[in-house]
Amino acid sequence: MKKFIVVIAIGLSIIFVLDLVFGKILEHFYFTQSSGLQYQTTYAMQETEADVLVFGSSRACHQYDPRILEDSLNMTVYNVGREAQFMLYQTALLRAVLKRHTPKFIILDFPDTFYTSEYDYDRLSLLYPYYKKHPEIRNIIDLKSPFEKVKMLSWTYPYNSIITTIAVGNLEFNKTREVNINYAGYLPLHGIFDKPLDSVPAPQTYEFDQNKIDLFKEFIRLTKEKNIPLVVTYSPIYYLYDKDPSMELCRQICIENEIPLLNFTRDTEFLDQRDYFDDATHLNDSGVTIFTKKLAALLKQKGLPKVTTSGTE
Amino acid sequence: MNWQPIYALLILTSTLITYFAAYKLDTTTNKKNRSFFLYASLIINFGILFLYKYYDFFNTSVFTFMEFLGVRMKLPDFSLILPVGISFYTFQAVGYTIDVYRGQINHERHFGRYALFVSFFPQLVAGPIERASNLLPQFRKKIEFDYHKAIEGTKLIIWGYFMKLVVADRLAIYVNSVYNNAESHNSASLVLATIFFAFQIYCDFGGYSNIAIGCAKIMGFDLMTNFQRPYFAQSVAEFWQRWHISLSTWFKDYVYIPLGGNRVSKVRHYLNLFITFVISGLWHGANWTFVIWGGLNGLYLVFARLLGLQDKKIERKSFGLIISASKMFFVFILICFSWIFFRAENLEVSLLIIRRMFLESGSVFIGDVGIFIYCIMAIGMLLIKDIIDEKNISPSLSNKKGFQFMLYAAMVIIILIMGVFDGGQFIYFQF
Repeated sequence: MKKFIVVIAIGLSIIFVLDLVFGKILEHFYFTQSSGLQYQTTYAMQETEADVLVFGSSRACHQYDPRILEDSLNMTVYNVGREAQFMLYQTALLRAVLKRHTPKFIILDFPDTFYTSEYDYDRLSLLYPYYKKHPEIRNIIDLKSPFEKVKMLSWTYPYNSIITTIAVGNLEFNKTREVNINYAGYLPLHGIFDKPLDSVPAPQTYEFDQNKIDLFKEFIRLTKEKNIPLVVTYSPIYYLYDKDPSMELCRQICIENEIPLLNFTRDTEFLDQRDYFDDATHLNDSGVTIFTKKLAALLKQKGLPKVTTSGTE
Repeated sequence: MNWQPIYALLILTSTLITYFAAYKLDTTTNKKNRSFFLYASLIINFGILFLYKYYDFFNTSVFTFMEFLGVRMKLPDFSLILPVGISFYTFQAVGYTIDVYRGQINHERHFGRYALFVSFFPQLVAGPIERASNLLPQFRKKIEFDYHKAIEGTKLIIWGYFMKLVVADRLAIYVNSVYNNAESHNSASLVLATIFFAFQIYCDFGGYSNIAIGCAKIMGFDLMTNFQRPYFAQSVAEFWQRWHISLSTWFKDYVYIPLGGNRVSKVRHYLNLFITFVISGLWHGANWTFVIWGGLNGLYLVFARLLGLQDKKIERKSFGLIISASKMFFVFILICFSWIFFRAENLEVSLLIIRRMFLESGSVFIGDVGIFIYCIMAIGMLLIKDIIDEKNISPSLSNKKGFQFMLYAAMVIIILIMGVFDGGQFIYFQF
């Protein structure tokens, strides 16, 4: 038995050393990427010092053109939206950004819904490479499972399943790939949607994910604490919906916290123009130009961003 | 699948019934009484299994047939959730009863020891389906820590996790994306997904078996080998000597041979083969697709016999590498074709997939390039290890302790880098 324990101890030591060595190598190459979505996340989290940040999921990163907003607001703008990343990610990102930079204005495209989905937690694996460097986001990543703290002891595990992406992200040619061409984080889509306007029935009552609600409230609270004006938006969508419980709850929370909420989902300028859409939930580049201009005009009209003594308006 | 503690009552019931039946079988000489206890044990145990696993399926199937005949009637479904491991421990307990009946073993007097045999945790959930003649004697011996077994067990566990997390769960991502949207995919993608599934199910089940066997080995117990690199088989018969060995031997000993095996007329022999495999298919799941999968494999064996391609031992030295590889390839194709039915959600989807495989041309669906590359790498690493084990290449190198350390340490790192840790689940849990 003693011999077995010694052998296991030696084996674990070898694993520890290999884990550290490979982990450090992967960490180095992860953070030397110069293009791709991982690079954009790193840039958003650790580098951007833009005056205006646009948060949200794919409906942010594909639907808000910073160039148009910059012209209108006379401030630098960066789109930190990220595909398939909802409230858990958004608040984690905000925490990391606020640790080193205070933007002058934040636009949050309301990320999807508050319903319970284990996939949203699975997708937190995107933040693994930042776990060791950003203690402020750890308790959000730990929501994924009770074992995340143990898994994160490994140096290699944070780079699970992304070695090919890391390799490609370090290559020059990756910058020129169409999927990576972006304008201050904005990733344009160029397709034209060809299906008719659909109606989505009102969803049945579903169980809300309290973590998402709490993190949404925290997002608002953090902006108030730093006196950062915040606007929440529902960007255009190409379907008709009756009532959405998550959007209703979002609206209530915004009212309670005096956060302006701009809703473009019923705007007929977009509902009447299928050509503005790449698919039912994302505008194409033409539609984004129209939308961002419209958003900029509306912000100006409402005198936003405006900082009051109470925090935001 | 359900993990509720109350289901322990089911396994306790099976344990008590078979323990008592075996006791009576060993202490009763009256032939009629012995038959009674045997059949009572079989009926009760298979009855419980039927109720939880097959009742709704048969109810629906019978109802559909009756409706076809113009008779509308249906008994209510029970919609019972399948208790985890029920198919495995039921077969294990029933096998013990039959062995006692046949006089091959004596009944186990110690109830605790027998209960341990039925519910031994490494193999309770998904096998291997152990034989009482193998496991009970080990429980009777005083077990002392065995260093070499513990090392072998540890290696098996690591390799098992590699198979499961790096290969099976990775391939599942691609297979699910194609099979769950079969109507949108072309021939190339469906063929590739089927090939991937062949490796997925091998590594899912084989991986679990290795973990189970490894756990038992560390404790000093030897469970039977369940998989022996099945895709190296050069005939379908050989495939079934390498695939889920514990189940195929169970069916051979407790279904095929009692039916008469091959000691009957040719027609009856072929029928016995076919029936055995149909029942084996049904064991895997309450769906006609599993029945067809089993039946198809039975037909493969029947045709092999009809064509004179017997399952006698193949002298590897007599055949060139090309011929061997060709046979392996041909067997692999046959097995992959049968996997379509195993994996598809229902018969309609199976037929859709087969139709599209032959009619819908186009380029292969890659999806996420990174995932696709990992799939290829995973299969590559699996094949390298299996080829080394099959051909016993470089035994001098593989026996060196330093090499072993580095190999298995590297395997752990590969698991950390390439393993899928989200949402994976053992396929055979559903049985």
